[in-house]
Amino acid sequence: MKRWFALAAALASLCLLPSPQASADETSVTLWHAYGEAEARGLHEAITAFEAAHPGVNVTEVAVPFGAYASKLESAIPTGNGPDVFIVAHDGIRTYVDGELVASIGPIPTAVSDDVERGYLDAFRVDNVLYGLPIALKCTALYVNEALLATPPASLEEFRALAPVLAPGVSPLAFETDSAYYAAAVLHAFGGELLDATGHYTFTGPSAERTVAVLRDLVQQDVVPQDASGALVTQLFASGRAAAAISGPWLATDLPAGLRYRVVPLPTVGGHRMRSFVSVEGALLARGARDAATSRDLIAFLASPSGALPRALIGRQTVTSNAVQADARVANDSLLSAFRAAASHSVLMPTHRKMRAAFEPANRALRKALEGEMPIRVALAEGAHRFEMITRETMPAQNPTVFLVVVGLLFLVLTIVSIRKIADAGMRARIRRSWPAYRYVLHAALAIALLVILPLLVGAATSFFAGHGRDMHFVGVANYVDILTAQGGPIFAHGSFWLVLLVTVLWTVLNLLLHVSIGVALALALHRPMLKMRGAYRVLLILPWAVPSYVTALAWKGMFHRQLGSVNAILSHLGVEPVSWFAHFSTAFAANLATNTWLGFPFMMVVTLGALASIPNDLYEAASVDGATSWQRFRFITLPLLGPALAPAVAMGAVWTFNMFNVVFLVSGGEPDGTTEILVSEAYRWAFTRSQQYGYAAAYAVLIFLLLVGGNRLLSRNTEPVGGTR
Amino acid sequence: MAGLTLRNVKKVLGKTPILHGIDLDVRDGELVVLVGPSGCGKSTLLRTIAGLEVPDEGEIRIADRDVTHLPPRERDVSMVFQSYALYPHLTVRDNLAFGLKLRGASAQTIEERIGEVSSMLELTPLLERFPRQLSGGQRQRVAMGRAVARHPALFLFDEPLSNLDAALRAEVRVEIKRLHDRLHATTIYVTHDQVEAMTLADRLVVLRAGRVEQIGAPLEVYEKPRTLFVAGFLGSPAMNFIPASIDSGIARAKDFAVHVPASIGGPTVTVGVRSEDVVVAESDGQLRFVVDVVERLGFDCHAYGKVGDVSFVARLNGEVARTAMRGTVIALNVRDGKAHFFDVQSGDAVQ
Amino acid sequence: MKQSSTRAVLVEVAIHFVLLVAVCAALYPILWVVSLALAPSGAPDARALPIPDSISFHSFASVLFRQNSSGTWVFAVQLFNSVVISLATSFVAVAIATPASYALARFRFVGSKAGTSLLLFTQMFPGVAASVPLYLLLDSLHLLDTRSGLILVYATSAVPFAIFQLRSAFEAIPREIEEAAMVDGATQFGAFLRVALPAARPALAVTGLFAFMTAWNEFILAATFLSREEMFTVPLLLNSYVSEYSAAWGNFAAGAILVSIPVCVLFYALQRQLAGGLTSGSVKG
Ligand SMILES: Nc1ncnc2c1ncn2[C@@H]1O[C@H](COP(=O)(O)OP(=O)(O)OP(=O)(O)O)[C@@H](O)[C@H]1O
Ligand SMILES: [Mg+2]
Repeated sequence: MKRWFALAAALASLCLLPSPQASADETSVTLWHAYGEAEARGLHEAITAFEAAHPGVNVTEVAVPFGAYASKLESAIPTGNGPDVFIVAHDGIRTYVDGELVASIGPIPTAVSDDVERGYLDAFRVDNVLYGLPIALKCTALYVNEALLATPPASLEEFRALAPVLAPGVSPLAFETDSAYYAAAVLHAFGGELLDATGHYTFTGPSAERTVAVLRDLVQQDVVPQDASGALVTQLFASGRAAAAISGPWLATDLPAGLRYRVVPLPTVGGHRMRSFVSVEGALLARGARDAATSRDLIAFLASPSGALPRALIGRQTVTSNAVQADARVANDSLLSAFRAAASHSVLMPTHRKMRAAFEPANRALRKALEGEMPIRVALAEGAHRFEMITRETMPAQNPTVFLVVVGLLFLVLTIVSIRKIADAGMRARIRRSWPAYRYVLHAALAIALLVILPLLVGAATSFFAGHGRDMHFVGVANYVDILTAQGGPIFAHGSFWLVLLVTVLWTVLNLLLHVSIGVALALALHRPMLKMRGAYRVLLILPWAVPSYVTALAWKGMFHRQLGSVNAILSHLGVEPVSWFAHFSTAFAANLATNTWLGFPFMMVVTLGALASIPNDLYEAASVDGATSWQRFRFITLPLLGPALAPAVAMGAVWTFNMFNVVFLVSGGEPDGTTEILVSEAYRWAFTRSQQYGYAAAYAVLIFLLLVGGNRLLSRNTEPVGGTR
Repeated sequence: MAGLTLRNVKKVLGKTPILHGIDLDVRDGELVVLVGPSGCGKSTLLRTIAGLEVPDEGEIRIADRDVTHLPPRERDVSMVFQSYALYPHLTVRDNLAFGLKLRGASAQTIEERIGEVSSMLELTPLLERFPRQLSGGQRQRVAMGRAVARHPALFLFDEPLSNLDAALRAEVRVEIKRLHDRLHATTIYVTHDQVEAMTLADRLVVLRAGRVEQIGAPLEVYEKPRTLFVAGFLGSPAMNFIPASIDSGIARAKDFAVHVPASIGGPTVTVGVRSEDVVVAESDGQLRFVVDVVERLGFDCHAYGKVGDVSFVARLNGEVARTAMRGTVIALNVRDGKAHFFDVQSGDAVQ
Repeated sequence: MKQSSTRAVLVEVAIHFVLLVAVCAALYPILWVVSLALAPSGAPDARALPIPDSISFHSFASVLFRQNSSGTWVFAVQLFNSVVISLATSFVAVAIATPASYALARFRFVGSKAGTSLLLFTQMFPGVAASVPLYLLLDSLHLLDTRSGLILVYATSAVPFAIFQLRSAFEAIPREIEEAAMVDGATQFGAFLRVALPAARPALAVTGLFAFMTAWNEFILAATFLSREEMFTVPLLLNSYVSEYSAAWGNFAAGAILVSIPVCVLFYALQRQLAGGLTSGSVKG
């Protein structure tokens, strides 16, 4: 006992262990970024220079995990926990302004205004207020393997001619054809755009169709490998199996040291130059920055030539400063100069609020058209429709009075009922007798109420609201109505709640069947007392449970990769054609299922092992004496006794599987076309990738909750109440 | 002094009433044995006395102290559970010492007591083992030892010897008797074993379905059962019961006729005869006993068979015991004054 | 006789075969991660067998000895954070859950049924909806960016499942041993502390392990609540290898393996209790 107290005390002191803080007399500025290693190093060098120039100023850099960056900014800045300066791409600027996350930095410092092109500066201007300064550019260019191609082809058509010339197994060109980000470069060449200035989705019509046709031809004529992911592009180019690649500056960091390559601006297509999107990365002043003056200085410094140079040289960033381009070391770096040139041909990423929502439907349309699943025109039209669905107008605000009255009445009734109950003498006596028990549960009840139930209630309450940030408003049950009526479309329309529910149920049932049958089978095999190497088998079979699921989910996704995945490699050894796992519902669903089965069977196996161990051996002996065959023993002793033991585990497993976000999100990601999405991952998408409709997502979450509660009630009516009540 | 008094103790478990108002006075130093069929509430009664169950009604006094609402630890009782209830994580030694430690006994006292009970119950070689490393009988002895080591005011034993082999059981039984004589602790002892009940008890309490059926010295209860139930419950083989009709001072049934005391009226009566209370008749007996099976036990035998249509067991010795076999017809007489008469309706003994 | 023994051998062989296939399937993706971590290129490659052509510990080294821009040995700091947070989480979660689950197993009290249902319900509500309110809550408690805050959140989120686990464990312990302790002079709480708790040790260990895993593997909440690098946990480090534009899969894999080792060791150490701890009680209760 004492040992435990000592351990607890030690742990407590360790968690309260203070971390080094800036001393009081220093001015401290916090800067957030989501850069990878090399860029972070360049940035750090620049900041060191800034600190040297401003004695007494201490800048804290925080590399925020990319996945959480946007939502973190959104929650941290309004509560005063955010950075003073943060680095983001310009396309989200309107969201930041709407969310009141940024503050004006005043007029452009002259050192910057003379040095940086107007267009880039304006990227951070909304309604004539400037919120930050540009520091770097991200666009794509053409990487050419010098060993394979002496001169870089000037047009996509020239690549076409290369196909027969190059050695077998070498593609002329590699890029992510089914990504709207890359396809946009062709679209722009033909004068099209993804989204117009007023926020209308414009990936339809002649230029879009022409774009898709060009891409489809490239794939069909084996100029570009089919459904290439970013990893595949890197892999092909790095290993010399693609003579050229279209990618951004990030590709360079993944290339082996020995590879000889050049970077040039994008080629032409149909006589027009391909023009990729360019994102301008800037340093923005956060609203509520503690020391606004110093923060502004830091922003100006990062944008200035002296702040840009280390970022260019060490981080190999395509910096916006013009003066730096004159530096010999920058000018001689072909990567830097090529991207700089490429950027000047590029199209600034639109800053419209709906821009981010345009990629999902555009990607899907592209994939469908390139797979030849449907005619180009149909695929594009479907994309446009999908865009309308996910960017639907926010619901009109509703007067909350009626709602409040209803809630108030409900509350009143509840209060009266509970007072009645307490007034009852028998009830009071029982409550009095419960006191000793309450002393045991009090702290758990408090902790759960405060940290689990309260946040869930607040979360549930947001389902009655729409919009986010400042224009969050009450909409009553409109979100629910919208979801349950499939947004007015057919009930089982693509992506509707009901269809997703169907998939989710199928997912849960199949998973549980597999978990239980595999788990029980293995447990039965392991339960034989005379089995050799029993311990070793058991340990190895538990391993999938021990490894973090996000790691193994990613590993499985890799294994199902069409070109790089080992599943197809195994299949090809067996003489089976490679399968595009994520191109069809059945195969994508199977991939998710395989992953989750792999993750989940050890739990069932271990539970079964425990249950088996608790069946007395006498029973089997008695049955043997009675002349039961081994099958009869299994059928009439093992199975009936196993059932009740497994029931709580199965119930728990059903809940977990129903809400198994990780696997679906990481493995298939909903591919193809959102069909393998389950309810939780759909909720997540509404919250984070579809213009942050938290209310809508919360309504999904509440519906999931109600479904599970209802299901539990239904199933536990006949059998023993599962998991919860006794 | 440390007697025990129960007044109208009632207990309801769940919705089933288990104890229906138990009254019992146990004198200080008395050993009371509680018997009754399985499920009649013996364990429940013991648990109520220990304070593990709070009675729904009634009063419990230990040593003239009202303990009805005191927690177990303040009652100074110790209990041997039917299921041993040894602490699985403690060695035998620590199991024995647990209660003493909790009560702040000195290390020396603890040592002494452990030595005392372990030599008495032959636990010395087991002291360092864990309960899971013991046989059923060994566990039961540890449970006994744990109760004894504390020297409480009141012992509660719930079938403490049920898992011991015959020899050990006899030995521990004598030990308990000796211990009781020495410590003179008030003891309530539950058992299904007739020998234990008869030999240990100062007084015997027969419980039936949550009610006290009879209280008295063991022999008194055996010889003068107040009800049909008590009569049938005590004694092995069980008492024979023959339904008979009374006709001019004689209770008659098929192949059966005994004299009835004049006080007993009524058209019918149940006659009880213990198996050892019959003797072979010279010529015509009161019973005509047809033998079916004979168990020869050496000195005597149990003969199972029928009197008329009623099953009957007779304990016989002498020549018949050797020669009786299936089909043998024996004329028997009931020993004088050994016939018991019970009211057919109520089951109460009638004189 | 002869026949039945050959049959027994055949059954034995079949069982070994099934188990071997299962083990291969269980290990395959893990070996794949290992091979990725050991491959000099650190890039995925299409091959059926997860055996790299040559082995390099470069990825492991770069994860293990990673320093941040100011020269701090981040891996050590973040590992330290992860260890402290996970240990404290499992400690706090078990400490909170144990008395409550004991009460649910032993006492009948007003609200116990409603409480258990509520506990079950918390497991059914997708966590997505709770992260923003939780953030605001921690902010108002001034616990953002602290280890204690994260521990509190992890521990409470692990409590419901821990209560279910421990409740069945306590139900499996015969009531009599606590009653014996009370007769022996212990209070109700003393009986819980000195008898029930030690008897439930295996289940406590398993429950602690699960709570440990909750904290050890968690990423989303850590990313939301922590914004100082010296407070980051190891999953955040792993995530930093996968940024918006590029992914250092070799480093990610190496990090993943390093992260998995402690949990694997714990699983190995507790494997016996695991089987018992998960079902003890669910069989009887
Ligand atoms: N928790 C309970 N709820 C309802 N009834 C119970 C409960 N516990 C015991 N009983 C019932 O109470 C009665 C008395 O039980 P108790 O254990 O006292 O019997 P007993 O005389 O000790 O029997 P045995 O000789 O078999 O040990 C039994 O009929 C039993 O079924
Ligand atoms: Mg009993």
